[in-house]
Amino acid sequence: MTVLQLASVSAGYGDTRVLWDVDLEVEKGRIVALLGANGAGKTTTLKTICGLLPATQGRLYYNGNEITGLPVHEMVNLGLALIPEGRQLFGKMTVEENLIIGSFLKRAKAKRAKNLAWVYELFPALANRKNQSAETLSGGEQQMVAIGRGLMQNPDLIMFDEPSLGLAPLLVQEMFRVIEELHRRGLTIFLVEQNVHQTLRIADFCYVIENGRIVQKGTGKELAANASIREAYLGI
Amino acid sequence: MLLLPQALVDGLLIGGIYITIAIGFSLAYGVMHIIDFAVGEWIMLGAFLGLYLSQWTQMEPLLLLPVVFIVFGVLGYLFQPVIYRVLSGKKGNPLLMALVFTFGLAIAFKGLGLTVFGFFSRSIPSAMAANSFTFVKGDFFVTIPVIRLIGLVYAIGVTLVLSWILKRTDFGLAIQALAQNKEAAGLMGISAKKTNSWVYGIYVGISAMSGVLIGCMFSISAQMGSKYTVLSFFVVVLAGMGFLAGVPWAAFLLGMVQSFFLIYFDPGYTLLAVFIILYTVLLISPKGLFGKGV
Ligand SMILES: Nc1ncnc2c1ncn2[C@@H]1O[C@H](COP(=O)(O)OP(=O)(O)OP(=O)(O)O)[C@@H](O)[C@H]1O
Ligand SMILES: [Mg+2]
Repeated sequence: MTVLQLASVSAGYGDTRVLWDVDLEVEKGRIVALLGANGAGKTTTLKTICGLLPATQGRLYYNGNEITGLPVHEMVNLGLALIPEGRQLFGKMTVEENLIIGSFLKRAKAKRAKNLAWVYELFPALANRKNQSAETLSGGEQQMVAIGRGLMQNPDLIMFDEPSLGLAPLLVQEMFRVIEELHRRGLTIFLVEQNVHQTLRIADFCYVIENGRIVQKGTGKELAANASIREAYLGI
Repeated sequence: MLLLPQALVDGLLIGGIYITIAIGFSLAYGVMHIIDFAVGEWIMLGAFLGLYLSQWTQMEPLLLLPVVFIVFGVLGYLFQPVIYRVLSGKKGNPLLMALVFTFGLAIAFKGLGLTVFGFFSRSIPSAMAANSFTFVKGDFFVTIPVIRLIGLVYAIGVTLVLSWILKRTDFGLAIQALAQNKEAAGLMGISAKKTNSWVYGIYVGISAMSGVLIGCMFSISAQMGSKYTVLSFFVVVLAGMGFLAGVPWAAFLLGMVQSFFLIYFDPGYTLLAVFIILYTVLLISPKGLFGKGV
């Protein structure tokens, strides 16, 4: 079943058009990745999916229902969560408050206690810092809070925007381990990453975006095997 | 020296009034980043509603505070989308537009007040206004008018309730989240429109209630608004724009300055003293007393 579908979606900022006729599908229970160079339009794609940025053309579907033009707070209520680029924590709030606010919506509130326990289990480092304000955490810890906050939303589809950015190699491994763990639990994952090797390894399907256009797609194996793609788009 | 206890107590009591006129304003600024020049007018309108309601029902005006809160809370809630539209405009400078908009609103409200309520000063008759406590110890004595004490209790009560809501409820966390990162708040499922409406409603409701209290202590008139707008602005700037926890301390500081000036110096220069304090603090710490404003 297709959870998320973009049908020739265009979007941009003001008069600058960034996305050009993007077609994209995410199947239920899969890990789908979006790869591309800096400025290719990955974050823009995610923002458009969430309703943070209006699509100027094209349509978006979630579980078969059209969601084009819905405001962001209604979008996430359907069961989709974005772990945004740059973490975007509520810096003056404590770690635990950041996590709690993740379960603001009714669909998540009922499972608050259970999910909170799960997040602390996934990231024991956070349990020790639950009363510390988020802005005083290290970058890696902040990333854990951002992911934890997304999990508290109890999503069906979770989208990551460069979760490993700025993390030490060991933590990058940890991050991919967590993503695989979420996948095992049945979540659908849409992953934007610069870490091409790791991403190709875990992704069921990949899209490559360049200058706002989808230029390649295929399974991780296919893309990795194709020498010209490797050279031109993936830099490996 | 004999007047020192009285000066201190008066400072607290005046500070209480400053809290009541500034706390809602600070909350609204913290979340919506709106400088509402109409704050004093909401106070004025609330005061007159309290006056007419108490005349009509023959009830103690202080008991009508919840009614005034609800009426103006609903008004503010319904009115907020208009301001939101101005604030979230794409062209030009929306913050400046909102400033001009509320300025116009203030003038419109004052005009409305003058037309409907007339030019003259009134006061809201409260049974609590006549009584006062007097404490005497040796040569020292302190007089506390009951209504002033009620004002202080009300101010502290409102402050505690607000901070409880902000700290302990999901709604309060949502308000904080929205104030800190609008986009991320949206990703949590928080509707900026709806939350802002609630915040604006709460702010307008609190301000209107404060108007009734002020009316029980002092006189009210259709022109009283701008004075309270200025005072409210002073407190909020001193506290740090949008830093709610700073409001009570800033209010008490200004209250003390005012009370000491009234008793020990020339009452005519009180406002000047308040100005000087404000500018000095802002010169040293532009983000308010605690450096935590935005
Ligand atoms: N707020 C904005 N206003 C105007 N242009 C923007 C804005 N955000 C991004 N852009 C432009 O849109 C294009 C795509 O940006 P986007 O952030 O989607 O890239 P990205 O693929 O996420 O890159 P990165 O890997 O560096 O995060 C870039 O050319 C960028 O300059
Ligand atoms: Mg990006």
